[in-house]
Amino acid sequence: MTEEEDYDHIMGVLREERITPYNEDELETVLSIGHCINCGLCLQHCPVVAGVGVERFSGPRSIAVELSRSPPEFWATGDKVFLCTGCGTCREVCPKNVEVPEIVNMIRARIFEHRPDLVPQELHSVDKTLLEHGLAFAPWEDLEDKAESRDMRLERLNLPFYPNRVKERAEVLFYPGCQAEERAQEVREAGKVVLEAFDVDYTLLGDFNCCGLPAILLGDDKTARELAKHLKEKVGALGTKKIVTTCAGCTSNLSYLSERDGWDIPVYHTLEYLIEEIGIESLTEKLTQSEDTQSVTVHSPCHLIRHMSRQLAEYAAQIIEAMPNAEYTESNLHDSCCGGGGMVGYHSPDVAQGVVEENLRAIERTGVSRVVAPCPLCTAHIEEMLFRTGSSVEVDDLTVFIAQRLPKKE
Amino acid sequence: MDLDTDVLVIGGGMAGLAAGIRSQERGANTTLIRKGQSATSYSSGAIDVSGYLPGGSQQLLSAREGIEAITSLYPLHPYSILGFGSADNDDVPGLAIERVGQAVEWLTKHLKSTPAQLYGGIDSNLEGITLVGTKKPTALLQQTIWPGEFAVDDEGVMLFLGIKGVSDLNPKIASKTFLDNQARTGEPPHKVGNASLDIAPFGHGYNLSTTNIARWLDREENLVTFIEQVKKKAEQFGATYVALPPILGLEENLKNQKALQEATGASVFELLAFPPSVPSFRLQRGLERVFIEKGGHLLIGHEAEPCGIESSKITEVLARSPRRKVEITTRSVVLASGKYIGGGLAATVEGLRETVFGLMTVTDEFRESGKTRPQRLTNVVSLSPESHSLFGCGLSVDQFLRPVNPDGDATAENLFAAGSILAGYSYAMEKCGLGVALATGHYAGETAAANATGGGV
Repeated sequence: MTEEEDYDHIMGVLREERITPYNEDELETVLSIGHCINCGLCLQHCPVVAGVGVERFSGPRSIAVELSRSPPEFWATGDKVFLCTGCGTCREVCPKNVEVPEIVNMIRARIFEHRPDLVPQELHSVDKTLLEHGLAFAPWEDLEDKAESRDMRLERLNLPFYPNRVKERAEVLFYPGCQAEERAQEVREAGKVVLEAFDVDYTLLGDFNCCGLPAILLGDDKTARELAKHLKEKVGALGTKKIVTTCAGCTSNLSYLSERDGWDIPVYHTLEYLIEEIGIESLTEKLTQSEDTQSVTVHSPCHLIRHMSRQLAEYAAQIIEAMPNAEYTESNLHDSCCGGGGMVGYHSPDVAQGVVEENLRAIERTGVSRVVAPCPLCTAHIEEMLFRTGSSVEVDDLTVFIAQRLPKKE
Repeated sequence: MDLDTDVLVIGGGMAGLAAGIRSQERGANTTLIRKGQSATSYSSGAIDVSGYLPGGSQQLLSAREGIEAITSLYPLHPYSILGFGSADNDDVPGLAIERVGQAVEWLTKHLKSTPAQLYGGIDSNLEGITLVGTKKPTALLQQTIWPGEFAVDDEGVMLFLGIKGVSDLNPKIASKTFLDNQARTGEPPHKVGNASLDIAPFGHGYNLSTTNIARWLDREENLVTFIEQVKKKAEQFGATYVALPPILGLEENLKNQKALQEATGASVFELLAFPPSVPSFRLQRGLERVFIEKGGHLLIGHEAEPCGIESSKITEVLARSPRRKVEITTRSVVLASGKYIGGGLAATVEGLRETVFGLMTVTDEFRESGKTRPQRLTNVVSLSPESHSLFGCGLSVDQFLRPVNPDGDATAENLFAAGSILAGYSYAMEKCGLGVALATGHYAGETAAANATGGGV
């Protein structure tokens, strides 16, 4: 047999045994799992374990020492690994740098490939949308309806509408993310308002597509890589120097892709762009008085503070403290997962609810009238959960909250 | 991302946080970075200062006695280094006791307003009771772990009360071990009982952890049911002491203990725990809160990027988080990155290595250990009073806790080390781990702050 035939033969055997070899970029994660010392510190901190108990979700330690160890048996773990919200708390407390959030995605990918019947049904519908439209949510059928919904939101929030710009060689590509593109359109517009206020030379994508994070989280590695490839081509064609996004998940995933796939472009969340590129002084100068004093607390998205850096929570606090008549109070659980991560809410809303319950109580305890989150997905999730508990606390995306306090252009 | 700070602390366990809090108190802006929790989060709820003499044979009656003996016998023990002081100091034990004692009082004061409130001091070692029914000597116990004094003629009953589904405490075995020990020593209480509660917080009485129950008890509505059940059992046994696994709460343990004592009339307390534990969670979080309240900047999830020391001063450290980098400029650095679990020291076949700055490491006998295979530093018997030399390895430091190079000079004039990364003591054998971390952290924080704000040590 030639070398090629050998290779094909081995791949055939592996396929038969339902084993997918690890990708080059997954090796570091795989090796990190071997460092687990089985101490169980992560179990004390995991918000899913805290919310629903170790019987329902066996927790990060179990993922590291049991569920991730035997490739042919990954699919026997489906009822557990799909309950991880990917918040990264375990990795943050782990003394041995075990990459549990990443290994969860890898196991999910193998379940998806070999035993798709064990992937929660709801995730297959998301996958179908991703395949059909390159978006996490089905696009609006009627674009006029979409525009109407957008205008209603802008009117309610008192935000201006600036025409969309698509041009080559702009300094910044503004990438709103699927949630802001299709659903929370006010966040997309707010992002534009922020960039306009500081005369940033920016562009949007002519043809928006998802960064692929939902595909990674539900296990469709192939689609995830495909979406990332399309995006890389589009970004390359535009020739921008920076990417700015309003979504926590997109920021973290695009930062990862930019490094993994050699995009060679830095990715910023709006908060980072404001603090690091615009500067707090210039921002403070522009911030206008709102009509009434607002007491505000912040929810810190996992994808910003644990998948990137905790400095970002401080950026959020800095910005709110710079606002005239906004009073900032920190919630002692500002950094705990909203329950909306890891696609868990799609198929196990009871788990998502269990995870967020403590956060909601902490938000209520602060006594604020408004909670803001620098992520449209967290915002939507917390809003829904607070609404269900009959709370009077209002919820806003942080980019919207900032945009409302910036001067409108003539 | 850039940051500027007076003092940068690397490591967020007892040593790092003590250094950070102290430095902040002394007027230096302090940033603490940590990647992962470690030894402090694995502690039992006791803060050992000096439990046994090196060699493990002699149990000490007080930490004061221990420090006095250690500083007289072992001149390079971290406690002895704390006692060096200036050149004209001829009372090393005296200064060491003063500094450790101050640190202990200082910590007790700071943790008073947290769930990790402490009881004890260096003048008398307490005996904490463990989950397996044994006792261990320690200087400080968390308040909710302190069972109270046993009177000589105590006629009381000790009830070991387990919780169905929480495997940490097997009340039957613990009570038997405890009773055997009491019979052997003749100490009260002589009457011991055991029972279990069925509280099922997630609707089932199996596969539960102490943290689950502690969180559950933090909610006021659950306490009422719990008190009723404990009261019933206490009355049934006529218990004057009720020993529970460490479950009284992550936040509300002090309040819960009080409510339970009032309802039962007995001393209700928690047993010393296996790692990682509810008490260690309270300690870690308590220390972090104090640091933040003092205005310290806690940057969790950031790891110091390895770098060499090129000049006699460290001015910049790069901290890496999963997808970002923070450049930190600083005037003093406290290295409290821990030992093997914390990651401050790496032991590989090539030898022992300090992981951030590549500092010189030494064995417990203060020989250079950069090329010593760690296997050669272990004992054939895994559990022996001699412990393992490997535990005594680490950094050799000068009287200001600055790591030294092979010539005995400070490697960098503004780099201080504290906690388990120091060489010359065996926490496992001497039962002094958190005590050394606290006292050296406290002192390193002071010197680092003085160096950053006043210039020079």
